[in-house]
Amino acid sequence: MQSSAEENSSTLKAVSQRVPLWRDVVVIKWVTQLGLLAVVVASLWFLAGQAGDNLQARNINTGFDFLERPPDIQLSEGIDTSPATGGRALWVGMVNTLRMAVVGIIFATFLGVVVGLARLSNNWLIKRLAGLWIETLRNVPLLVQMIFYFAVLTALPRVTLDSGPIHGWFHVSNKGISMPRVFISDGFYQWITVVAVGCIAAYFIRNQRGKKHDLTGEDTHAASWAFLTICTFAIIGIFVHPIFSFVGEIFAGLATLFENIPTTLVKILIASVLIFFASRWIRNFFASRRSATGHLSLIDDDIFRMVFVGTGALIAIIVVISWTGISSWILNSGRDLFQMLEAKFEVDGAARPFGAMKPDIVKPGKFANYGINGLTMSPGFAAVFFGVVFYTSAFVAEIIRGGILAVPKGQIEAGNAVGLSRSQSLRHIVLPQAIRIILPPMGNQYLNLTKNTSLAIAVGYSDIVQVGQTVYNQTGKSLPVMAIWMLFYLACSLTISVIVNYYNVRMKIVER
Amino acid sequence: MTDNETESSIREDRDLANAKEIIVCEGVSKWFGDFQALNNVSATIKEQEVVVVLGPSGSGKSTWIRCINRLEQHQEGRIMVDGVELSNDLRNIEKVRSEVGMVFQMFNLFPHLTVRDNISLAPIWVRKKPRAEAEEQASSLLERVGIPEQADKFPGQLSGGQQQRVAIARALAMEPKIMLFDEPTSALDPEMIKEVLDVMKELALSGMTMMVVTHEMGFAKEVADKIMFMEGGQIVETGTPEHFFTNPTEERTKLFLSQIL
Repeated sequence: MQSSAEENSSTLKAVSQRVPLWRDVVVIKWVTQLGLLAVVVASLWFLAGQAGDNLQARNINTGFDFLERPPDIQLSEGIDTSPATGGRALWVGMVNTLRMAVVGIIFATFLGVVVGLARLSNNWLIKRLAGLWIETLRNVPLLVQMIFYFAVLTALPRVTLDSGPIHGWFHVSNKGISMPRVFISDGFYQWITVVAVGCIAAYFIRNQRGKKHDLTGEDTHAASWAFLTICTFAIIGIFVHPIFSFVGEIFAGLATLFENIPTTLVKILIASVLIFFASRWIRNFFASRRSATGHLSLIDDDIFRMVFVGTGALIAIIVVISWTGISSWILNSGRDLFQMLEAKFEVDGAARPFGAMKPDIVKPGKFANYGINGLTMSPGFAAVFFGVVFYTSAFVAEIIRGGILAVPKGQIEAGNAVGLSRSQSLRHIVLPQAIRIILPPMGNQYLNLTKNTSLAIAVGYSDIVQVGQTVYNQTGKSLPVMAIWMLFYLACSLTISVIVNYYNVRMKIVER
Repeated sequence: MTDNETESSIREDRDLANAKEIIVCEGVSKWFGDFQALNNVSATIKEQEVVVVLGPSGSGKSTWIRCINRLEQHQEGRIMVDGVELSNDLRNIEKVRSEVGMVFQMFNLFPHLTVRDNISLAPIWVRKKPRAEAEEQASSLLERVGIPEQADKFPGQLSGGQQQRVAIARALAMEPKIMLFDEPTSALDPEMIKEVLDVMKELALSGMTMMVVTHEMGFAKEVADKIMFMEGGQIVETGTPEHFFTNPTEERTKLFLSQIL
């Protein structure tokens, strides 16, 4: 028996040895992967070379030095309207884009959920109105909508020429919409510490209430209790927040600590963290490839992955150790952060956490405009904001409606049959399943919204595209500016995808 | 074996003639648009009775059984369940639903919850039971339907027969007085049908009031106290299994039996 088995395996071996190279799957895989890599690298090399030669022939400088030079730019709005360098100008543009994207995502989600639920309502009028909203807004191009809102806003009456405070809380004119500004004041950081303590307390209270519910079965309203706890701390914090001024000294201590750590220690720390994660990855990787009996079988793709990951980790470690700049940057920024926080806590006891101001009108030169007291939405901002929010809300509404309708009718019937009330079956059965259907396309809409903010250029809102265009018109550095644009949008999109994918993987329903 | 004997003696000790009427339908009619699904259906079901509803597809069996816990709304007539009339009163509907368990053709388990959570969800939120107690009950119910080892799995990881047994356990967790079965074995492979029917037989032997819509003639012959035959939204014939299978009176019943037997 044994000898025949040996014979069998030896003939098998002989057969596998006779496979010619061009038919060997493993060889083909390696050759195609390496060949493709070579083609990509060669094409990039060629394109970069061509671009470089052409730019040189036309005497165009492609360096990034313009980032350090003072530009001749006045921005319509942003954290800094007359930036000192080109880099600063682009940074202001990025902040404007991010601000628009974040605010837009929040409002579009909220509005979309409301419209989507309205379209599912049994009330005829509400249902038709929601349908009208969706069909109108998603069928008119976003650019047209933005220009329309901008035209409406700039056709409003002009700001009156007398300066001074405004009667009433809101003011609308061709300079935009001005409303009261609530801003954080000197005591804010102490107050937020009180709220953080409140969150910790709320966490424990919620757990304790949840446990009580599990033990006795009575409704303990754990979430409401947690929410009330946070609110209580937030309200009490307004009066007692100075007791937390000592936190500043902790930050002072951390700042001195960061100043005194040698860079070598940081290098060793980072390298060991990298090694720790790499080894954990390798261990998990092997564990995932091991069969139940402990037999390890690696396919070619696994070997590719190991080679790529291993090379990446090695390069990272070498860079960290050989380039002191990274470690000292970490130390410096840590020190700066803690020093800044320390300064935030150095306020006198009477400081309030918040302040609020009514809008006002100023007249610095020939034309009147809103002052800095109020929170003013410029016509450009308002046009882009209403454009992306309304447009995206139509798509979000359809996603919400689709997600809820996609939960099979049998699920709701089963919930009814075991006696769950409407709200209970919504909370425990419909929503958990609808969320899983809704999330991936929602992530898509968030990506779209972020990218759509680039249409701001049409209405003169200073986003990254508008600022970038001004910069390259003045300096002629079109390629570097485009590279910055693309990297910026890529970073935004990847961040959103990573967050959405993380939730998708966590929420996935287990099946065979 | 002794268990079975005591249980079957419970069943034989029943006094159906004097038992309380627990489901009463009087002249129940229902239309889907122009199509009349139920036409003047009147019937009573007594406590601890096992009633099997037979009939060709589209005869209104499922519609009728779904009316009894108000998954469908009847338009004419009266339905009383354990003395509570099913009307537009939400409180009555909720009361009836918490006393009537239902098992569906497609199982309708909650795919995002584990088997244990599927069973303990309603006891915790409707009956306000402590979680520990509800989970203990879930374990003993899983023991009863023969799959105690599957408690931590998700429905998608189970076979059809196992899923249907979980669905029965989920309905039993509310400690219902009546169990409705809407074609519980129609979506199952032949070898899984038996494991579900065995659970249902055990339930019948324990004295549960059951109303079963099915095409399983073997089950009907063996377990039913009464068979109702439906056709075109009406109850055509009612009788004991012996009467129904050996000596049916109606022509339509004879035709149906000649086609399936």
